[in-house]
Amino acid sequence: MLKKIIAAAIAAAAAISLSGCATDVALPEESPTVVEKTSIVVYAGRSESLVQPIIDQFTEDTGITVEVRYAGSAELAAQLLEEGENSPADVFFAQDAGALGSIAKAGLMTTLPDEILGLVPAGYSAADGKWVGVSGRVRVLVYNPEKVAAVPSSVFDLAGPEWQGRIGIAPTNASFQAFVTAMRILHGEDKTLEWLQAMKTNAVIYPKNSAILEAVETKTVDAGLINHYYWFARGREVGFENLTSKLGQFQANDVGNLINAAGVGIVTDSSAARSFVEYLLGKTGQQYFVDETSEYPLITGVEAGVDLTPLDQIPAPEIDLSDLDTLEETLQLIREAGLI
Amino acid sequence: MRKPPVVIAVLGVSAALLAVLPIGYLVLRLFEGLDRALAELLRFRTLELLSNTGLLVLAVSVSALLLGFSQAWLTTRSNVRFAPVFAVLAALPLAIPSYVMALGYMSLFPNFSGFFASWLVLTLATSPYVFLGVTAALVRIDTATEEVARTLGLGRLQVLVGITWPQVRPAATASVLLVALYVLSEFGAIALLRFDTFTRAIYNAYQGSFDRTSAAALAFVLLLITLLVIWFERRYRGLYLANTKALGKRVRVDLGSWSWTATIGLTLLAVISVGIPMFSLLVWTVQGSASLDLPMLLDALWGSVRLAGLSGLIIGVFATAIALWAVRYRTRLGALIETASWATHALPAVVVGLALVFFGANITPWIYQTTWLLVIAYLILFLPNALAAISTPIAQVSKDLEDVSQSLGVPANRTLFKVVLPIAFPGIIAGVALVALTVLKELPATLLLRPTETNTLATRLWGATEDLAYSEAAPYALLLVIIAGLPALALNSQARKALSEVRG
Repeated sequence: MLKKIIAAAIAAAAAISLSGCATDVALPEESPTVVEKTSIVVYAGRSESLVQPIIDQFTEDTGITVEVRYAGSAELAAQLLEEGENSPADVFFAQDAGALGSIAKAGLMTTLPDEILGLVPAGYSAADGKWVGVSGRVRVLVYNPEKVAAVPSSVFDLAGPEWQGRIGIAPTNASFQAFVTAMRILHGEDKTLEWLQAMKTNAVIYPKNSAILEAVETKTVDAGLINHYYWFARGREVGFENLTSKLGQFQANDVGNLINAAGVGIVTDSSAARSFVEYLLGKTGQQYFVDETSEYPLITGVEAGVDLTPLDQIPAPEIDLSDLDTLEETLQLIREAGLI
Repeated sequence: MRKPPVVIAVLGVSAALLAVLPIGYLVLRLFEGLDRALAELLRFRTLELLSNTGLLVLAVSVSALLLGFSQAWLTTRSNVRFAPVFAVLAALPLAIPSYVMALGYMSLFPNFSGFFASWLVLTLATSPYVFLGVTAALVRIDTATEEVARTLGLGRLQVLVGITWPQVRPAATASVLLVALYVLSEFGAIALLRFDTFTRAIYNAYQGSFDRTSAAALAFVLLLITLLVIWFERRYRGLYLANTKALGKRVRVDLGSWSWTATIGLTLLAVISVGIPMFSLLVWTVQGSASLDLPMLLDALWGSVRLAGLSGLIIGVFATAIALWAVRYRTRLGALIETASWATHALPAVVVGLALVFFGANITPWIYQTTWLLVIAYLILFLPNALAAISTPIAQVSKDLEDVSQSLGVPANRTLFKVVLPIAFPGIIAGVALVALTVLKELPATLLLRPTETNTLATRLWGATEDLAYSEAAPYALLLVIIAGLPALALNSQARKALSEVRG
């Protein structure tokens, strides 16, 4: 009797696990050249709520199923490095150029074909063709106008003592880290470390951009450093007139106004993986980023949303996104400042 | 000395290996990059984490002791009104995962964060452990000594400090060490409340950085501190719960005019530990009910139930094998295996998760990011709980029955399956259920190891809370308390015993 129960239990366990595991087993990937696949694994460092709809649309249009592993871009990059050749990932869809650059540098990405790279302006893909940007975003200061009379002229002003405890940042977030990398490149290690150390005193640490925005909205902090589209997404959700916060830019060429790109790179090449990248850079994909996530499209023929400042009018610093691949050094500084 | 059946030996040895290997790998790997790891540790940040962690552990231990002891003494030894009700209320926070309690508070007060917030939430979450431990000890001491002391002219406080306290001190110490272990390994609440202790720093270092050495180095320090506390806990554990019944009748102290103060105090405590967080979650759930994504909720529920059911069964099978080996065969290897599975007891889940990520990605890629690696994590974390629950029913099966069965010619191993297991079966099932419910609430290891596209109530709750999207998180939190917390509390034998004794 008991043996039967145990046998039944084991059978049940196997059935339960199989039903869950069927999708866990990666398809055999024997040939490094292009193989036919009907299913790909995407590591997505972007919010599920922002990108899952376009991924579902892709599956509907092409019949290729996509398994998505959502986590922070930095975490997924760390995971890819740890997994190395063993990685089940086909495509890395990251929130910023820095995370992509680091994976490319580690030799884990295949070079993209020219017809894909040619779709976007040169500044928005890797110089070595290992990744390509799919949507543009701008670093902004989100602030509560009741508490912040005027946007400071530079992001460096946030290091002043008057900002103690008033500013929200997300040091584990890949977009923040890319911004720090830009600061390192433009202003040097010492000045960057000094700024980060000031942030240790002045800043309130959040896990994500969305949490920073929420904290400014609920008046927990007075201002925060985020990507622009979080604010638009929230505005569309609750009505722009109901937002407490405003977006501001620092003065021209300030590193706090960095333009960055979310992008993709192919880890394990296949025609399905390429279709996915092409789809994101096609009309449907680009229009989706314009309409649903308030990001900047990167291909010609698709216009940015009317409420956005055109990209060429953003007072952004001059920097090549391909140069943002020195994340190791950035993380060392962030750690040295005690922020992680 | 009899030999155990092969199945039992294989299950036992593999469970012990699974428990020890990943941690061993973490340590090995750390020594490979020792210079970098040392550089990582020899910085001010480590000192900051050390003092933050130490301060929180100390503060919570002291306050949980004070609260838990007061609740236990008032409900068992004083004539406070509604003592049984207050006893249940004192144990009730056990049903609320600490990160859910943190969510309840932070969603109500936007500025609720940092040391004070973490201290408050963890004190409320852990004082039930002290309450249960001390209650069990209090009901066993004879009150005659106290009465003699009173008649000899000692004041009430003097009796409490001089007579009562020394008798419950072993139980109280053991409970406080449990609390300390809890705080050391706590991740969810502390991370949500943004207080930097080792667990949060380890998770952040892993999550936000490409350099995994730093996470591993911090994890190693936390491992050492935890082992130190476990060692202390071991020394005191034996002293707790002496199994004697009090001889005389228990006399309750008349609180007199203090009675109202005590009632109000206990009520207030119940309000802040259970009332406020649950109220807050209810309000947010109602507020967000219009935009509730039901398919997503059901998907997470299914993910949780599937994982918990599978892990409960597997852990139950392993635990039964080890318990049989240790209890019914008493071989030295059996005892060793049992100790090995206990050795990982109370290791912070963040450390176990991290060790398995490294181990899985490099050594066993074929189970990496599958349900199996996560199940192994749960096995490491919760095998001790299962052993504790399953050993008792197995030990209670009378040896005579086995002898009778064997004297009738049934082989020993067959006797095991025909006699011992069927009798112990209900107890084993209860143990499995308890483990499954614990798995439902697990957060950090699940976050680090969950298979792609698997979501659980806990991970969805975590994601929404990281976005500070409270109305989205609240239904997940409520569901967790209802399907995991309350049943777990009802199954907790220590809680049941303590509560029934308050009434008696």
